[in-house]
Amino acid sequence: MIGRASLGAALVTILLAFVARPAAAAIPQALSALPRGGSYVLDPDPTVGTAAIGLWFRAPGAGYDNATPGISNLAATAAAVVPLASGRSLYAMVHTAGGQLNIEVYPDIVGIGAVVPASAARRIVAAMTAAYFSSNVDENAVKTARANAAVLGVQQRYEADTTLHDLLFAQIFLNGPAHYPPLPDTVSALTSISASQVGAFAKRAFRAENAVLTLTGNIDASSIAAVTDGNGAGAMDPPYDSPLAQIPSTATKTGAVDGVGLAWLGPPISDEKAATALDFVADYLFRDQTGLVSKSLDRSRSDAMVVGQFITLHDPGVMVVTIGGNHEKQAEQQVLDALGTLQQPLDRATFDAAREAFLYHVASDTQTPQEQADNLGWYSVEGNLPYAPGTAAGAYEQQARGLDPQYVADVVRRYLGKPVVVDLIASSPQPGSAP
Amino acid sequence: MKRLALSLGAMFALAALPPIGRAAPATLPPPSAESVGSATILRQADSAASLVGVAIVVRAGLDRQTMKENGLAALVAETIVRTPVHDMTPLEEAIAARGGSIHFTVDSDDVRFYVEALASDAPAVLELFRAALVAPDFSAATLRDARAALVRQIAQSQQIALQVGLDMLNAASSNEANLGLPELGTPNSLAQFFADDARRFYERYYRQGGVLVSAAGRLDALPSGALAGLAGALPEGVTAAVTVRLPRLSGSTHEIVTHRDIASPWLIAQYPAPRVDSQDFGPMLVLAAFVRRTLSDIAQVPGVVSPTFASRSVGAIYAYDRAPATLVLYVNGGLNGNPSRAFATALSIVNVLAATPLQGSIEEFKAEAAGDFANDATTLETRTWLAAVFSRDSSSPDFINRAVAAIAATTPVDLQRAARKYLGNPTIALVLPRGTNLQD
Repeated sequence: MIGRASLGAALVTILLAFVARPAAAAIPQALSALPRGGSYVLDPDPTVGTAAIGLWFRAPGAGYDNATPGISNLAATAAAVVPLASGRSLYAMVHTAGGQLNIEVYPDIVGIGAVVPASAARRIVAAMTAAYFSSNVDENAVKTARANAAVLGVQQRYEADTTLHDLLFAQIFLNGPAHYPPLPDTVSALTSISASQVGAFAKRAFRAENAVLTLTGNIDASSIAAVTDGNGAGAMDPPYDSPLAQIPSTATKTGAVDGVGLAWLGPPISDEKAATALDFVADYLFRDQTGLVSKSLDRSRSDAMVVGQFITLHDPGVMVVTIGGNHEKQAEQQVLDALGTLQQPLDRATFDAAREAFLYHVASDTQTPQEQADNLGWYSVEGNLPYAPGTAAGAYEQQARGLDPQYVADVVRRYLGKPVVVDLIASSPQPGSAP
Repeated sequence: MKRLALSLGAMFALAALPPIGRAAPATLPPPSAESVGSATILRQADSAASLVGVAIVVRAGLDRQTMKENGLAALVAETIVRTPVHDMTPLEEAIAARGGSIHFTVDSDDVRFYVEALASDAPAVLELFRAALVAPDFSAATLRDARAALVRQIAQSQQIALQVGLDMLNAASSNEANLGLPELGTPNSLAQFFADDARRFYERYYRQGGVLVSAAGRLDALPSGALAGLAGALPEGVTAAVTVRLPRLSGSTHEIVTHRDIASPWLIAQYPAPRVDSQDFGPMLVLAAFVRRTLSDIAQVPGVVSPTFASRSVGAIYAYDRAPATLVLYVNGGLNGNPSRAFATALSIVNVLAATPLQGSIEEFKAEAAGDFANDATTLETRTWLAAVFSRDSSSPDFINRAVAAIAATTPVDLQRAARKYLGNPTIALVLPRGTNLQD
């Protein structure tokens, strides 16, 4: 595990670095410090009509004492709906401008994203940084955030992938933010968090110096001048890693839907080659439509859905495969068989084709301003911005091009042995479920 | 990779808010257009992209089929995608192995292939496609594979209630009977075709006249002449549509009901809508934004600002890229507590729009319409397709600037005119789970 001090130092280096573009790309991607604390990443594309603005923080989802699961979600939502000095909230401003606001809350980080017409970009940069860097959430805003979280929490119970993801992390991590779901299981857990607790969390988590602002699409560096909030003191928080369970155990849980979840601990984000190899494995086996396992599911006999991805985290990353629908046990065996096969190197021609397809999928999945802003934000706060996918000829592409069959097989053997398994059983039988 | 954002991401819904002053929209570089023989090449260079995307539009869509040839346009296109190229690998697989993808869509008056690849692989990928396009393999084996692939796709689309409903509505609203045929045909119709049928259709309609090659992304990675080579790949010639007239349905309202293996009912209404070259294009974009907002507000859980299952259960689609253009409203009964109420309210509001001028400002709906349009035009595929649509249906391929200008110029009077002209007489499709009926 990488020490937090060294990671912090590494991040400083990263923020001062410059990610080069190929000669054919005329517009450089810029990295720099915000005027009042924090940093920003600029990756402009003046040929599209929208700008994507992201604001990413390191923040523990269950609070700084891990005693208030959901507080990060409440704080992020409340800050978006509380009126700013203009009398209107960030949420209102984004939508009045014809844009969309997206809040992503994970166990260790928070990402706020807005996609707006280019003409509104500067105004939204100002509003977003004001809403979070000078957060002043009140009782009304927290009330809205609680109602919002309660409805999302109920919905989430019917989403096998999200439910299984949270249950798997609870098994893998002994405690710490990753042990707790970003949205708590009960409404009472939400109402027990006071507005003052949410306000205090927001002030601590959403400091300018704890932020990375990402600007992509039709936007330029002049928008940085719109950032007028932040006090400029301090540094970004260290990553919020979670201690591992000594021997992660398999579990059976009841829920609203059936499903099976499998998880394996993977390398940290600093081990770029191994992390890229696991991304390759996930793409080769589980990508929708093209993945080997996805294609092998017999749609005429089963509506099983397999979702698999390597989640790149500061330390450690986690490979997660979730299976929903019926006949999930047969699908689980297909997953395990496919991984077993990959413990031996693929033949060269198959591997080369799969790697080229993987490179294309990565580029295809990061082509819009919003996708690019999300990637830059995620990889920044997880601690390795230069490794963010989607930067042509960047570190990620170089790592992917450097993979070979033997190395991938070694990584599969090293990391993807026996999984942690969670069986999710619907408390009332679902129509069409397998006997 | 970054974790997939599923339900944890809270995408906020819309709120009724006062308009604000806004900066003038920046003008974006428009696509360039070049004629090559009787084909047209459209280019949108984007040096920030990693990929090259190319849409190739051939006048070989539904309107080139007779009623007995239902599915033949799709079968020919699928045959091209499955034509063996280097090492006898089907084109689709060969392109995937070279770092790209290919798929096709059959539309009313054309078939469009979309090929995308990493910039470094794009020249080779486009050459693979060109080779298959000019010499498809109509052997029994390839045709069998193509037919089987189509039958699988048809089976999958029959599970998608919205698609089933749209197919029925398109059949009802088409000016020519063959335009309303299912885009991929049916398993029975596909089973009737032999290699000679496919070859004959290809030789008759895969001609250069009217071909559009619309490219976007890292075009500097392509050798000069690559796009012209595609545009000129097919033999010279202009083809004509097959005219198949059938009596149209009459009456003030139409309802179409069908049953499928789905979990919940869907309610879908379709209205005629203007093409992109109409003075009503901008107003209809704003009307669509208004209807989307209204439906979402009706369905949303009170007091909740994030989208929920309920707010996602409704929507409005202005399909200006198909012929004839339509506006579609839909309600998914499985995610909505009272789908009939939501649907009836939406239809009532649309009726009121036609009869009464909107009170108050329409600026927020205009902003939403402009934002939606711009946000829907950020992938290379949508950018190439929109340029092709605007080039085909209007005087310029400059889709984004023209759409934004049309929205900006829209007044409340324009809205009411468009509502009165188009939104008076919907055709309604109900897609029900098997074993249920209208009374349920």
